[in-house]
Amino acid sequence: METAKDTSARRPVKLLIVDDSNIVRRRIERSQQFDDLEVVGTAANGIEALELARRTDPDLVTMDLTMPQMDGIECITQLVKLKPEVRILVISALSDKATAVEAMERGANGFLDKPFTDRQLNEAIAELMY
Amino acid sequence: MLLSGVDRNRRLLTAAAGFLLAAVMGLVLIIGFRLATQIRGNVGTLQRASELETYPSVVSQQLTALRERLDTLEYTGHVHAELAESVRGFDRDFAALEREHDLDPAAMHAATALWHSYTPVLTPVLAYHGEPYSDTATNSSLSRSGRVFYAHVRRAELFAQANAAALHRQLAAVSASLQARTAAAASRLRWLLSGGVLAVLLLGLAAAYLQLARARGERAAREAQEQTRDILATVREGFFLLDADYRIGAVWSKALTHMFGRENFAGLSFEELLRDKVPPETLATATKFIKLLWGERAHENLMKSINPLGQLEVSMDNGRGGKETRYLQFDFHRVTGPKGVKHVLCAVGDITSSVLLSRELHEAQENAHSQLDMMVSMLHSDPLQIGTFLDSASAGLKHINAILKEPARSHAEFSKKLAGLARELHAMKGEASALNLMSIAQRVHHLEDMVAQLKGRSELTGNDFLPMVLKLDELLAHLRGVREMTLRLTALRDNAPSPEATLSTPALRIGSSGPEELAATLHSLARKLAQDHGKEFSLTVNGLADCPRSYLSTVKDCLIQMLRNSAVHGIETNEVRRAGSKAAGGQVRVDFRRAGAGYELLFEDDGAGLSPETLKEAAVRKNIITAEQAAQLDNRAALALIFKPGFSTRSEVSMDAGRGTGMDVVAKAVYGLGGKIGVSTNPGRFTRFKIALPAASETAVA
Repeated sequence: METAKDTSARRPVKLLIVDDSNIVRRRIERSQQFDDLEVVGTAANGIEALELARRTDPDLVTMDLTMPQMDGIECITQLVKLKPEVRILVISALSDKATAVEAMERGANGFLDKPFTDRQLNEAIAELMY
Repeated sequence: MLLSGVDRNRRLLTAAAGFLLAAVMGLVLIIGFRLATQIRGNVGTLQRASELETYPSVVSQQLTALRERLDTLEYTGHVHAELAESVRGFDRDFAALEREHDLDPAAMHAATALWHSYTPVLTPVLAYHGEPYSDTATNSSLSRSGRVFYAHVRRAELFAQANAAALHRQLAAVSASLQARTAAAASRLRWLLSGGVLAVLLLGLAAAYLQLARARGERAAREAQEQTRDILATVREGFFLLDADYRIGAVWSKALTHMFGRENFAGLSFEELLRDKVPPETLATATKFIKLLWGERAHENLMKSINPLGQLEVSMDNGRGGKETRYLQFDFHRVTGPKGVKHVLCAVGDITSSVLLSRELHEAQENAHSQLDMMVSMLHSDPLQIGTFLDSASAGLKHINAILKEPARSHAEFSKKLAGLARELHAMKGEASALNLMSIAQRVHHLEDMVAQLKGRSELTGNDFLPMVLKLDELLAHLRGVREMTLRLTALRDNAPSPEATLSTPALRIGSSGPEELAATLHSLARKLAQDHGKEFSLTVNGLADCPRSYLSTVKDCLIQMLRNSAVHGIETNEVRRAGSKAAGGQVRVDFRRAGAGYELLFEDDGAGLSPETLKEAAVRKNIITAEQAAQLDNRAALALIFKPGFSTRSEVSMDAGRGTGMDVVAKAVYGLGGKIGVSTNPGRFTRFKIALPAASETAVA
C-alpha cells in the first residue's frame, strides 16, 4: 500500500476512539487499515476520553457527539484546550446540522456521517492525518 | 473593475510615448533654433566677405585713377578721399571678419598677411596732404612734393596690381569656406527637421495605436461589464459575495430580489438577510457556520457536509399580507487570494417546488405502498377477521364521536376527553397493526399524533378538536373503502375455489374463529414487528385453546400490547445480545393455563428487562410521581409504575410503542375482568408478566 510506504519512516499516529457504543468502538478499531495507526485507547464518554487523552497523548481522536456524562461538544471544547494540536474526527449522525456547526466551532477537524462504510472511515482518517 | 496587467502595461507605454514625443520636439526646436541663429550670422558674415572681395580691385583701380589724374595734372582730391574711404572700409570690414570664429584659418591667415603687406605702400599715399601741382600762368607741372607723391602712388599702384588677385583669391577662399559652412548648417537643419518630423510621425502613430488599443480594451471591459450585468439579471440563482465582515458586496443577481423581497442588498449583513425569515436558533447556527468559512479548517467538502443551509425553510411575505413557506438552498464557495479567503461566494437556489414535489412523490409512494400492503395483508387474512375488525373499528369511531361530543369546559374535562380518545385510538391502531392493515394503522397513528399535540397544550377549546373531526371523517371513508374491498376479495375467493377455500368455508370459520385465530394473529404480528424493528425473535404460544370465549377479546388486546412492548423495548438487537453474551434471536413465550378455579396468562421475553431506576426517572419526567416519591419507592413499587396511566420509557414515538398508553390499558382491561396483573424482571435477562383471571361464566371451547 502506498500510504504505508510513504509514512513508514514516521512515528505511528496515536488514535483515541470515543463513542458510547462498544459496537461502534470495536467497528472503528477493526475497520481502520493504516499500518502506522496505533489505537491507544477507547472511551465511552467525555470524562473517560479526557482522562485517556491526558495519559496517552493521542494525535487523532474520533468523537461521538451524543454520549452520557459528558457529551462530545463539551469534550471537544476541553480536549482542544488540553491538546491544541490534536485532530478531531466527529463520527455522528449529521442530520442535526446545528450540532455539527457547533462541533466545528469548538475545534472539530472533520466529520463522518453515521452510518459509515469502512472505506468512508479510512478516507476520513487519511484526510485528517496524511 | 479589476485593472489587469495588460491594461497597466498599455498605460505605461502610452505615457512613455507621450514623454518621448515631447522630448524629441523640444530637442528639435532647440537644435533647430541654434542652427537657424548660426545660419543667420553666417549670412551676414558672408555678405561682408563678399564685399571685402571687391576691395582689392577697387583699391587697385582707385590707385590707377589717382596716378592717371597725376599724369594729366587733374584734380586728385576726391579720388584721394575715395581711396582713403576704401582703405578705412577694408580695415573696418576685415576687422569684423577677423572676429568671426568658424572661418578657414589658412585663407584668413594668408589674407591678413597680404593686407598687412599693403600698409607700408599705402600709408605714404594716404598720408599725403600737400599740393601736388605747381602752377604757372601758362603751364602746370608736378610740384616737388607732387613728384614724391606720384612716385608713392605709382609704387602703390604697381603693388596693388601685383597683389590684388592674390588677396582676392584668399578672400574668396574665406568666403567659400563660410559658404560651405552655412550650407552644411542648412543641410543639418534640413536633416534635423526631416528627422524631427519623422520621429513625431512615428511617435504619433504609436500613440494613436496605443490609444486605439486602450479604447478597444475599454470597450471590451464595458461589454464584459454589460454581460456580467445581463448574467446577474437573468440567472435564476441568487448570487452574492460576502466580505470578511459577513456583509454582502456591491453586486448581486436579480433573483435575490424575488427570493428575499427587497431591492438593495449592498452592505447588508448575512444575519440581517435572514432575520425574521428563519427561527432564531437556525439564524444563530447559520451565523456561526458563515464565520467558520473564514477559518483554516474549513475545507470545501467538510463545510458542505455540515452546511445547515442546504435546505432552509424560510417564511416570506407573499405580498397579500400573509406568509408563505419557501425552501432555499445555500451553497458556499470560498474565493481565496494571496492573503487567504477574500470573499465567500453564496449561491442561493429556490428549491421549493422540488422539495414539495419530492414530498408529494414520497407521500404518493407511501400511499401506493400502504394500499398494496393492505391488499396483500387482506389476501392473507381471514375476511371474517377483517370484518370483525371493521365492526369494532366502526364501534370505536362511534365511541370517539361520542367522546368528542361530550361537553367540556375545564382543563381537567378536556384532559379526560383526550385520555379517552388516546385509549380508543391506541386500541384501534393495535388491532389494525395486528391484521397488517397499515394504511389504517397509519391514519390512526396520525390522529394519535394530533391528540398528543393537544395534550401538550396548556389551554384547550372545542375548536382545537375540529381538525381531528376532519381526519376522523377521512378515516371513516377509508374504512368504508376497505370494507368494500374486503367484500370484493371475498367474492373473488368464493368464485375461484381452491383446496384451502374448501377447507375453510366461512361457515367453518365462524365456528373455529377463536383461540387458533388469535395464535395465528400473534404469530403474524410477531413477524411484522421483528421486521419493522430489525429484531429477531421467536414466539411460542401455548394453551390458548383453554381460553374461555368471553375472555378472548381482552386476552387478545393484552397480548398484542405486550408483544409490541417486547418487540420494541424488550428484545435487543442481535448485536447487543451478542455483546451481552446472549444467544442471537430472542424468545417470547405465551402460556395460558387453568389455575385453580380461574386461569393464568404468562407472558415472558428474554430481553433487556426493566430497570427500576430508569422507570423511576421516566415517571418523574412524565410528572407521574415527584422526585421525592421516586426516592421512596422500592424495586417492586418502581416496576408497578408501568401500569400507571400515561407511562412510557420511550421518548421518541413510533407506530408500535412509546405513546404512553399501553400497559395501563392492559391493566385496566384485566381489572375489568376482575383479574390481577404482576410483573417480575431481571435486568438484562427477562421480563415476565403474570395475569390471573377468575373463573369465567362460560367454559372454553376446545
